[in-house]
Amino acid sequence: MKSTMRLLVFLAALALLVAACGDTPAEETTTTTAAPGEETTTTTEATDPGTSFEGAVLDSGGCDYGGKLNTLTALDANTVEFVLCKPDPAFLAEIAFGVFGIQPAEHLEATGGAPLDNPIGTGPYALDSWNRGDSVVLSTNSDYWGPVATHDTLVIKWATESASRLLELQAGTADGITFPGVADLPVIEADSNLELIAKPEPNIFYMGLTVTHPPFDDERVRQAVAQGIDRQRIVDTFYPPGSETADFFTPCTLTNACGGEPWYDFDVDAAKALLEDAGLGDGFDTVIRYRQVDRGYLPTPADVAADIQAQLKANLNIDATIEEVESSQFIDESNQGLYDGIHLLGWTGDYPHVTNFLDGHFGKTITQFGAPFDDIAGPLETAASIADPDEAAPFYEQANNAIRQHVPMVPVSHSGAFVAAQAGIDGAHAPPWGHIQFNLWDNGKDTLVFFQNAEPGSLYCADETDGESLRVCGQIVEALYRYTIEGDVEPGLASECAPNDDLTVWTCSLREGVTFHDGSALDANDVVMSYTAGLDASSPLHTGSTGSWVYYDYIFGGLINAG
Amino acid sequence: MTVSRKKAIELLEDEAGDVTRLFEKPVGQWKLALRRFRGRRSGMTGLFIVVGLILVALFAPLIAPYEPNEILIGVEDVGRRDPPCIHVLGCPDETPQHIMGIDGNVRDVFSRIVYGSRVSLTLGFFTVTLALVVGSTIGAISGYAGGWIDNILMRIMDVILGFPSLLLAIAIVAVLGPGLRNALLAIAIVTLPGYARVMRAQVLAIKENDYVTASRALGSSTREILLKRIIPNALTPLVVLATLGVATAILEAAGLSFLGLGAQPPDAEWGSMLARERNQVFTSPHLVFFPGIAIMLTVLGFNLMGDGMRDALDPTLNR
Repeated sequence: MKSTMRLLVFLAALALLVAACGDTPAEETTTTTAAPGEETTTTTEATDPGTSFEGAVLDSGGCDYGGKLNTLTALDANTVEFVLCKPDPAFLAEIAFGVFGIQPAEHLEATGGAPLDNPIGTGPYALDSWNRGDSVVLSTNSDYWGPVATHDTLVIKWATESASRLLELQAGTADGITFPGVADLPVIEADSNLELIAKPEPNIFYMGLTVTHPPFDDERVRQAVAQGIDRQRIVDTFYPPGSETADFFTPCTLTNACGGEPWYDFDVDAAKALLEDAGLGDGFDTVIRYRQVDRGYLPTPADVAADIQAQLKANLNIDATIEEVESSQFIDESNQGLYDGIHLLGWTGDYPHVTNFLDGHFGKTITQFGAPFDDIAGPLETAASIADPDEAAPFYEQANNAIRQHVPMVPVSHSGAFVAAQAGIDGAHAPPWGHIQFNLWDNGKDTLVFFQNAEPGSLYCADETDGESLRVCGQIVEALYRYTIEGDVEPGLASECAPNDDLTVWTCSLREGVTFHDGSALDANDVVMSYTAGLDASSPLHTGSTGSWVYYDYIFGGLINAG
Repeated sequence: MTVSRKKAIELLEDEAGDVTRLFEKPVGQWKLALRRFRGRRSGMTGLFIVVGLILVALFAPLIAPYEPNEILIGVEDVGRRDPPCIHVLGCPDETPQHIMGIDGNVRDVFSRIVYGSRVSLTLGFFTVTLALVVGSTIGAISGYAGGWIDNILMRIMDVILGFPSLLLAIAIVAVLGPGLRNALLAIAIVTLPGYARVMRAQVLAIKENDYVTASRALGSSTREILLKRIIPNALTPLVVLATLGVATAILEAAGLSFLGLGAQPPDAEWGSMLARERNQVFTSPHLVFFPGIAIMLTVLGFNLMGDGMRDALDPTLNR
C-alpha cells in the first residue's frame, strides 16, 4: 500500500515536471534507510536535469503515523505539492498561520534548525537587532513584494503593565499599544489624540477541569460547576463592551461553531443537587490556577479568579485557593493535564476554521482535560475531513452536545479585544486573525513604535506559541498564505495553492521574484525544509526553541517520526 | 558621728545648693525612660498612631461596614472600581456610602483596609517576636560562649546578612510556597541576624562587668548568669531594634504580598491590594492611594515610636 502510494505520488510529480519542462527528466532518487528496526528516514531528493534543481521531499513513509501530511515535495523551483492523508478543507487557512513561515533552507541548516534570534524572511521588515529586555528593531524591506512601509524603522517594545503602555501612548512615545486595560478604555475613547481600534478576534475564556483528577473525575461534579457559576456576572463585571457570555466553546462567527444545545443556565439549586448526588453536598477543597498574562480573552485574570473563588464558596460551598503560575509553566502543565483543580485559560483563534478551536482542545491527541472523550474526538475527526460545511454540521453538533454533557471545561466568555493607537495614523488596524501588518500603518514619521505586553520568547516562531513572538516574527517571515486585515485568507508567498477534487493534494505555485532579506531567492526547497524542520522529529533541523512544536503537532495531527 | 537628715541637708546645701533630690526615692530605669519618652513629641505621635492601629485591628468588625471579602454585586447598586462616596462631602444620599470606594472585585475598600490592619500588625508583631527570640538567643550563646561556637553562629549570620533581605525572603518563600505564614517565617529569618549581632555585642560588653564576675565567683550557673545578669541588662537596644523592626517587617510583608508571595486572595492585605490595582493608578487612584497610605502610616508610626524609644532608653542622651 505504501509503495503504491509512493509510486502514485512519484508519477504525479513526474507528470508535473513533464508538463513544466517539456521533456522527460532523468530522475535520481536517493532514499536513506535507517538501521533495521528503526523507522525509515524521510528525505529524498529528485533531480531535474533540465533546471539542475534538486527538489527536496518530506516523506512521512505513509499515513500510519496518524498525522495529516503524507508527503511534501518540491516539484520544481517554484512548485510544492502537499499530499495529505485525508481531506483538509481548512488547509489554506491553516498554512496561512504565522508558525508556517518560510526561511531559507541554507539559513536553517546554518543555524542548526534554531534561528532563534536571527530569522531571515521575505516580509516587509528585516531584523536589525533584538535588544534583550528592551526592544526589537526592524528596518523596512524596500524590496518587499507587497506594500512597502512608509517609515524606515519599526521598533517593537514591551511593558507588562497596561498602565505603563497607556502612559507611553499618552506621552506620544508609542504609536500603538496592545491590550489596553479594561478600565483604560474610556480614558482612551475620551482622548481626542488617541484612537481605540476594536480587534474582532474570535476567542474563548474557559474554566478548564481535568477529568482524570478527583473530584472532577465525576461528571456530576463538573456539571455542578458548570451550572453553579454565574458566567453572565463575570462578563458583565470584568469584560469590556462587545463581550458576550459563551454558549459554545467556539465563537459563533465561525461556520458550524454553534450547532447543538447551548450551555447550561445558571442554576444553583440544580448544581447543589448534583453535588449531593455525587456525595459532595458539603463542598470540597480545590485550587484555581491562572497565569498573570494580559490576553484579550481574560483581561483581568486575578480579579476573575477571585470572583470565581467567591462564587464557588457562596453557591456551592467549594473552598478554592488561588494559585498564580508562571506563564510558560502554566501552559506546559495545563497542556499535559496535570492540574487537579480548575485552570483559567483561553484561546484566541489562529485561523478561521472551527477546527482551530475544537480539534485543538478536544481532539484525540489532546490531554489538557484528561483522557479525550471518544464521543467528542470521534465526530471532530470525521467532521475535519469533510469539505462541505453543511455535511460536516451534524458532526460538530454531536461534538458540542458531548462537550456540554461531559464538561471538560466551562466556557465563560467571548471577549471584545482592542488595540490603541495615536489618532490619525493612516491604515491603523487590528485584524481578527494573524498579526498587525505594520507596513500599512503610516504615522508620517521615520520610525513607528509599538508597545506590546511582553518580550518575545524567540524569533523562530515555528516553535513558539505566544502572540508576542508571533507579532514580531510575522513582520519578518511569511507563510505561503496569509490573512487579510479583514480576516480573509489570501495568497502570500504562494501565488496559488490549488487542491485536487477531494482536497487531499494541494499544489502551490510560489510567487515569482521574491527574495529573502539576505538576497537569496525563494524556491520550493525553502518551503520543504521549513516544514521539515517543524514536522519531522528525526530531522537535524528539528531543534527549535522549546522543542515542543505545538502548532505543527496539532495542526498536522502529529509529528513525523515522533515515536 | 551621726547627723540628722535635716542637718545633713543643711550641710550639703551649703556646699552644693539644692540636693534634696539626693534623698528622693530612686527612680527605675524604665520609669525614667517612660518619663523621657513622654517628653518626645515625635515618639508620642508614633505611639498614638500605633495604638490607633491596634484599636482598629482589635475592633475591625465594629468599624468596618462590610465583611472584607464581601462582593457587593447584586447587593448594592455599585460598580467596579467606583470612586469614594462620602455623604457629608456631597455624595448623593441614594448612592451607597463607601468612604474609600470600591475595588476591582466590587468590594468595599475601607472594610478591606480596616481588616488589613489585622494582617499587617499580626505579621509585624509575630515576625519580630520570632526574630527577637531566636536572634537574641543565638547572639547570647555566641557572645557568652565565644570560641568556635561564636565563630560558627556568627558566620551563619554573616551569610544571611550577605543577601539583600527582600531577595532572600523571596527565595525562602519560593521554597516554602507562597502564603502569609511562610512570608512571616521568611522575614523572621532574614531579620534575625540583626538581633543576634546586637545581643552578642551587648553580652560581650556585659559579661566583663564586675557583677557578672562576682556572680560567677559565687557559683552561679551559666544559665543563671545569662538569664539573670546579662540578658536583662542587654535588652534596651533590642527593644528599640524590635520596635523599628516591626515597621521593616510590615514593609517587607507588603513587598512580598505585592509580588504575590505573601497574602493570598481573597485575604485583605495592603501590599496585595496595592499590587492588584497597580494598573489603575491613573484611572482609579483611590485603589492604590488608600493601601499605600495605610502602609505608610503604619511604618511611620512604628519608626517614630522606635526613634522615641531609642532616645528615651539611651543613657547618653540623658538631660
